[in-house]
Amino acid sequence: MRKFFRIILYEYSRHVLRKRFIFALLSVPLMIGLLMAISILAAVLSINTTPIGYVDQSGFLAHPVQLPPSTDFFTRRVEIIPYQTEAEAKAALENSAIQAYYILKPDYLTTADASLVFLKDPDSSIKNQFMDFLQANLLASQPAGIATRITEGTEYTIQSPDGKHSLAGSEWYNILVPMVAGVLFIIVILTSGGYLLRAVVEEKENRTIEIIVTSVSPGQLLAGKIIGNIGVGLTQILAWMIFIGLFVLVGRSHFQWIQQIQISGSYVLLMILALLPAFVMVAALMAAIGSTTTETREAEQISGLFSLPITVPYILAIPIITNPNSPLSLFLSFFPLTAPVTLTLRAAFTELPLWQESLNLLVLFLCAAGAVWLAARTFRLGMLRYGKRISWRELFSKAG
Amino acid sequence: MPAVELSHIIKSFGSNRAVNDVSFSVDKGEIFGLLGPNGAGKTTCLRILLDIFKPDRGEVSILGGPMTEAKKDRIGYLPEERGLYQDIQLERCLIYLATLKGLSTSDARQRVSQYLERFDLAEYRHKKLKELSKGMQQKAQLIVTLIHEPEVIIIDEPFNSLDPVNTQMVKDLLREERDHGKTILMCTHQMHQVEELCDRLVLIDHGQTVLYGALEEIRHRFATHDILVRAPDGLPNTIRGVQKLEPINGSTKLVLSPGATAQEVLHELVNQNINLEQFEIAVPTLDEIFIRVVQGTGETS
Repeated sequence: MRKFFRIILYEYSRHVLRKRFIFALLSVPLMIGLLMAISILAAVLSINTTPIGYVDQSGFLAHPVQLPPSTDFFTRRVEIIPYQTEAEAKAALENSAIQAYYILKPDYLTTADASLVFLKDPDSSIKNQFMDFLQANLLASQPAGIATRITEGTEYTIQSPDGKHSLAGSEWYNILVPMVAGVLFIIVILTSGGYLLRAVVEEKENRTIEIIVTSVSPGQLLAGKIIGNIGVGLTQILAWMIFIGLFVLVGRSHFQWIQQIQISGSYVLLMILALLPAFVMVAALMAAIGSTTTETREAEQISGLFSLPITVPYILAIPIITNPNSPLSLFLSFFPLTAPVTLTLRAAFTELPLWQESLNLLVLFLCAAGAVWLAARTFRLGMLRYGKRISWRELFSKAG
Repeated sequence: MPAVELSHIIKSFGSNRAVNDVSFSVDKGEIFGLLGPNGAGKTTCLRILLDIFKPDRGEVSILGGPMTEAKKDRIGYLPEERGLYQDIQLERCLIYLATLKGLSTSDARQRVSQYLERFDLAEYRHKKLKELSKGMQQKAQLIVTLIHEPEVIIIDEPFNSLDPVNTQMVKDLLREERDHGKTILMCTHQMHQVEELCDRLVLIDHGQTVLYGALEEIRHRFATHDILVRAPDGLPNTIRGVQKLEPINGSTKLVLSPGATAQEVLHELVNQNINLEQFEIAVPTLDEIFIRVVQGTGETS
C-alpha cells in the first residue's frame, strides 16, 4: 500500500511541482483576465468623455434633475451642459468644448421631438446617458415606486410546471454556469488524460516500465498512475475554482448580476457524480491507449478519437439548451463520452426525470469500471510489447 | 533449496514458441550464467521468472516458492533494455525507484548518496538522466539493481556500454555480492565474462536447453585430446601419435591420433630433445563450446 501511495505521489508531484504546470495553471485564468481587462479598458478608453450639450426650447429642463454619479467602474458619466441658444451650443461644438448637442423642440413634451447635432457621431453609451437624463427629468414628478418600475421596464420569467426551474429574461448569466463547467471539464479531463497517456508511453519508451513492474504489481502501478493524474486534473479544477471565486468576490461589487447567479446543491452533486466516473473512464482509456502504443505521437493521434466526442456536446450546446429533451439531447446524455457535459447542460435547463439521472450515472459508473478493467488488461499485455499490436482476441482471452 | 528454479517452462507469443521446456536452477550464493545467442529466449525466461510474463506451462520458484509482491523487494533486476526516467534528476529518480523496492525515503536517500560516491556519480546527482553519458546511465541502473541489498540479483547483459575500467568495477562488485552470499543470475552472450565469473551455466538455443551444468565440468566435457605446445626452435613436421599440427597465436595445436595420449606425445618430444616453453591440454573456450553447440557440432565424448 505504501508503494501505491508513492506512485500516486510521484505521478502527482512530477506534474504539479513543475514550473510548466504552474505556468499553465496560472496562465489560463491570467490570460482570460488580461484579455477581459484589455477589452474592457479599450472599450472604456475609446469613449469620448467630452461633455455633451443641449438646448431646451421646451423649458421642461428649467430646473434639471442630475443623474446620480455612476457606481459602476465601467460606466463613465460625461458632463451635460445646458445652452440657451443653438448658436452658443454650435460655437461650443466648433470649439470642441462639447462633442455634440441635443435640441429639444418647443413641443418636446407632446411630440418627443428632439434632434442631435454632432461633428462625429457620439458613442451609444453617451446617447444612452442623455436618454437616462431625460427620463429622470420626465419622471421627476412621479412617486419613486412608479418611477423605478417605469425605468426598469418589463420583467418576464419562464418557469417549469413544478416550479423547480425558472429563468428570467434578465438572468442571462445563469447560462454561464453550465457553459463554464463544461469548458473546465473538457480542458481538465483532456489535460490530465493527456498527462496519463504520456506517463504510460514515456515509461514504455524509456524502458523504465520493466524495472517498475518488478517492484510493484502492474495493477498497483496503473491505479497509482490513474489516481495521481486525476489528482493533477482536480488540482487544476480547484485552482481555477479559486480564481473564479476571487473573480466573483472582486467582481460582485462592480457587476450586480454576479450576486444573482444561483447554483443549487443538487446541481453541484449531479456534476460531481457525473464528472468523477467520466474522469476515471477517460483516464483509463488513455492508459489503455498508452499501453498499446510505443510512441507518444501515435498515442496522441489515437487518443484524439476519444477526445473529440467529449467536446461534441459543447459544439452542440445551443440545440441541447434550446431543446434539452430532444432525441439528440437524450442520446448524447446516454453515450458515455458525451454524457458528462450533456448532463450538466440539460440539468441546467430542464427537470431531468429521476430514472434518466440514475440511468445516466449508472452507465457512466459501469463504463468507468469497464474502462479500468480494459486498461489493466491492456497494460498487463502491452507494457513490454513494442511494435506489435494487441489483438482483441488476446485482450479477451483467459490467459495473459 | 535452490534460490531460483525454472521447471519445464513453455511460453509462446502467437504462433512463435519463445521458450520450449526450459529447466534450470540457481543455487544460493553462486553466480549462474544464462547464455544463448540473440533471440534464444533468455530474456523471456527472465521475465517469466520475474512474473512479468505468465508461462503457458511449467513451474517457477524463486526464494522458495512462487513470486509474491513481498518477494519483489528481495530481488534486484537489471533489464537488458536500459531505461530510467530521462527528464528528472538522477538523485530523485534513484530515490523514487529505491522506495518502490521497500526502502523508506530517508534510507533510500542515504544509500543513494553512498552509491553515487562509490560509482563516481556524486557530482552528477542534480543532473537530469538524459544529460548523462550511456556509461553513467548504466551505472545508475546498477545502483537501482543493488540499492535495496537484494538476495537474488538478476542481470541481463551487465557489461553493455561499459568501458574496461567500469567493466572491471562491475565484475568486482558481482564477486563481492557473491561473497556476501547473494545469488546472481547473469544473462549474457559475452562468453569470456561468463568464464571469469560464473560457477554454473545453462545455454539455451531456439528456446530449448542445450547445455547445463558446472563451468569446469562442461569445459572438460567438450575438451578434445588436443595439446597446445610452444617450441621456440620449432617442431618437426611429423611426431608419433600426432595426426595434425595447427599454428595458433604463436603456439601449435597438436591434434592427437586415435588412441594416442598426451603422456606419450610428451615423451616423444622429450626424446627428440625439443626445447619446450609450453605444453598443456587444450581445453576449449566457452566461445568455442558455444559455437559448437549452437552450430550443432556437439560434444566430443
